[in-house]
Amino acid sequence: MKANSTLATWALYLALVAPMANSQAQDKFKVCADPVNPPYSTKELTGYENKIAALFADQLGQELEYTWLPDRIGFIRNTLKAENDNGEGFKCDVVMGVPAGFELTETTKPYLHSTYVLLIAKGRGWDDIKEPNQLAQLPEQRQQKLKIAMFDRGPGTDWLQQNGLLDYGVPYQSMTGDSEHNVAMQIEKELRAGKIDMVILWGPMAAYVQNQSAKNGYIAMPMQSSAGTRFDFSIAMGIRQGDNQRKQQLNDLIDKNQAKIQAIIADYKIPSLPIPEKPAKKDDDD
Amino acid sequence: MKKPVYNWLLASAVATILAAPTVSTANEDVEKLTQNPANWATWGGDYAGTRYSKLSQINTQNVKNLQPAWSFSTGVLRGHEGGPLVVNGVMFIHTPFPNTVYAIDQTTKAVIWEFTPTMDADVTIPVMCCDTVNRGLAYGDGKIFLQQSDTVLTALDAKTGKRVWSVQNGDPKLGMTNTNAPIVVKDKVITGISGGEFGVRGFLAAYDIKTGQLAWKGYSMGPDKDTLIKPGKSTTWQDGKVTPLGADSGLATWKGDQWKIGGGTTWGWYSYDPKLNLVYYGSGNPSTWNPVQRPGDNKWSMSLWARDADTGEVKWVYQMTPHDEWDYDGINETVLVDQEVKGKMHKTIVHFDRNGVGYTLDRETGELLVAEKFDKSVNWLTHVDMKTGRPQVVPEFSTEHNGEDVNTVGTCPAALGAKNMAPVSYSPQTGLFYISGNHLCMEYEPFEVSYTAGQPYVGATLSMMPAGADVLTGKKDDSTNLGQFTAFDAKTGKIVWSNKEQFSVWSGSVATAGGVVFYGTLEGYLKAVDAKTGKELYKFKTPSGIIGNVNTWEFNGKQYVGVLSGIGGWAGIGIAAGLDDGSSSTNSEGLGAVGAYRSLGSYTKLGGTLTVFALPN
Repeated sequence: MKANSTLATWALYLALVAPMANSQAQDKFKVCADPVNPPYSTKELTGYENKIAALFADQLGQELEYTWLPDRIGFIRNTLKAENDNGEGFKCDVVMGVPAGFELTETTKPYLHSTYVLLIAKGRGWDDIKEPNQLAQLPEQRQQKLKIAMFDRGPGTDWLQQNGLLDYGVPYQSMTGDSEHNVAMQIEKELRAGKIDMVILWGPMAAYVQNQSAKNGYIAMPMQSSAGTRFDFSIAMGIRQGDNQRKQQLNDLIDKNQAKIQAIIADYKIPSLPIPEKPAKKDDDD
Repeated sequence: MKKPVYNWLLASAVATILAAPTVSTANEDVEKLTQNPANWATWGGDYAGTRYSKLSQINTQNVKNLQPAWSFSTGVLRGHEGGPLVVNGVMFIHTPFPNTVYAIDQTTKAVIWEFTPTMDADVTIPVMCCDTVNRGLAYGDGKIFLQQSDTVLTALDAKTGKRVWSVQNGDPKLGMTNTNAPIVVKDKVITGISGGEFGVRGFLAAYDIKTGQLAWKGYSMGPDKDTLIKPGKSTTWQDGKVTPLGADSGLATWKGDQWKIGGGTTWGWYSYDPKLNLVYYGSGNPSTWNPVQRPGDNKWSMSLWARDADTGEVKWVYQMTPHDEWDYDGINETVLVDQEVKGKMHKTIVHFDRNGVGYTLDRETGELLVAEKFDKSVNWLTHVDMKTGRPQVVPEFSTEHNGEDVNTVGTCPAALGAKNMAPVSYSPQTGLFYISGNHLCMEYEPFEVSYTAGQPYVGATLSMMPAGADVLTGKKDDSTNLGQFTAFDAKTGKIVWSNKEQFSVWSGSVATAGGVVFYGTLEGYLKAVDAKTGKELYKFKTPSGIIGNVNTWEFNGKQYVGVLSGIGGWAGIGIAAGLDDGSSSTNSEGLGAVGAYRSLGSYTKLGGTLTVFALPN
């Protein structure tokens, strides 16, 4: 993998002044991110995670440094847990957005709680749908006309199944192999082209789709978690297991900047729910 | 990169090709090459995939004197699967990504030419699931065929390393990659596709060896026009007999359009029977990954296939693990040998599946003959019902039966299977198959928060642990070994002997007429054992862990044994990817493998090396 130029410069610097490495390393806020992952992150730094990273780096008085890699299988192992080629430190110290309780990293306290959203393109014969359950109650004849996206492993697919709608889903990969388009971009394109009329999409991505389109182009309904299916998740920052000092530092920053973080998220029109005290656990039936 | 040829030993083979009257002779050429044990001209040593060598210079008596004769660094870290090809004295080896190919002069040990395709690491590596392995090259028609990671299939002039043609076999933007070794059959080169994690729909494809033009493509699921299943003609094993398939059997067991992202990828090994003109292989996991979300049998994922080599038409198909809930990818190799089963000679196909069952079928008809566990710790099924051909699932170990709230404990084998992709060998001297095995079980814990490309969801976490039970009896014995090397009689379904290995055996074995079987270990040992008894006769520690296949050939009258070492792959990804930080016992990155393999890092480090062994002069 190619190191970015900043990283290469840094590597050279380390080679020259190796004994200084540890203290110097703390002068940078090192983030790994996908360069083409709106609305989370982009190489042009237009994503909301880019803004939050900039806010934190600024408050720490550190230089913000990115290592870019498409967010696919192995992202954490190839970034947060990958040592630099010179053996001095890791490619980065923080991944700005992972679910609270994510198993591949240690996570900070959550800074966002969002939910999956049913998005329906207006003017395609579905404008009468006011809440998700209506889809389940439609006569079969009408259900057969559904063009609703369905993702591998996504809770939307669980919901379709529970409501007897699995036969009408249009299957999509939950990850695209395309490093130039993320799932949000792909779904936005497909909705625009009429290949699908609706989708149950994770909040930030749903917001991206809406923001890319003409105003009021969509009906948007947050999905309600139930005993069977969980739609709402808390988002935290990912750090290496055992990096407790950084965890404390980031937790303090999250506490201190609640209002500013919420303002950034609101700018992107991302659906935001109150953050539960502890990472929400799935409700049990009993 | 190409370097000029200064030594060429293939002149006679080239002359044969030029003199041949038709273009459909590549297989005869390859067949001829494989019949001469001086060569190792296909991944399996022959079209049948037996990985057996008629060479006997190295035998049970003298193998203890074996010595490394020479070695060669590939210059690449990460996991080295597959093994060297030797064709008329010239050796061809390959590396993981960036898929460098070297032609090596055995006299001088110098590189005749090398070729590294242009691939974008930032685009290719993020779509490769489990390390950046490549399982090897194919030879035919004076060309070396390389299936690149980025799905480009490339034909190189075997003399010069010059690219003759290349073709895009898949679309990396859809998550498609390639790791398999192709095989040359007649005038075609056959390859598959990887990317089940992305929901790629698997296929086997045949390209013209001269031009790279697509000849046929048969998908694992979908309508008959995609699967090349001929209803009424293509068959499956059902109700105790070979039964013609109805229309669109590759659609019927899927809800809605789920088959379009149905998985069933084909990243393993392919074998060929020239007399029957059939190509054999296994298809992998169904997608989506959550079994609850894909009700039904999900045909034809997890299946064994026989296709006509000229047209791709399906002769027969047999599903081993309907509606997979355990990740028992069905892609392991298929070996074609003629054996007497229950008093009758059959042209058989033998397959040792990840699911722990060794299958023997009649390869002409697809009749199910034997289906027995080759590791008795396997507990997810009681047995295969011979009439229906279906595994009789033990509800306790069905994650779906248990429901999403229940932590399913002690399912054996673990997701990496009772055997993974490392190909077996077969010795006609003993009539036994030699299986490189895993010996692990798994816990399947629901409701971890997972995340894929920006979307959180509720998933399950796998953790793996030693099976702690005897391979021959299945009785608990508190053993801690993660691997086994097992001799199995596929005529009767009986385990004959089994050796414990500390770690999974991830290396393909080779059996020889010298009565010796060679295999490699994850710690990096090349081992030689007695084919009859399993007694260890020799071992040598190579520079890195072995996940490659041991091959053998002859040069200037001397028998050589060679293997690529270089730790990686699924078992070794904890080391290969540097993620073994030791901080969590259930680290699920590397798909759950890391925890169980933590101590491997004490034994071996990264680095690709070919080591060639011979008896002293």
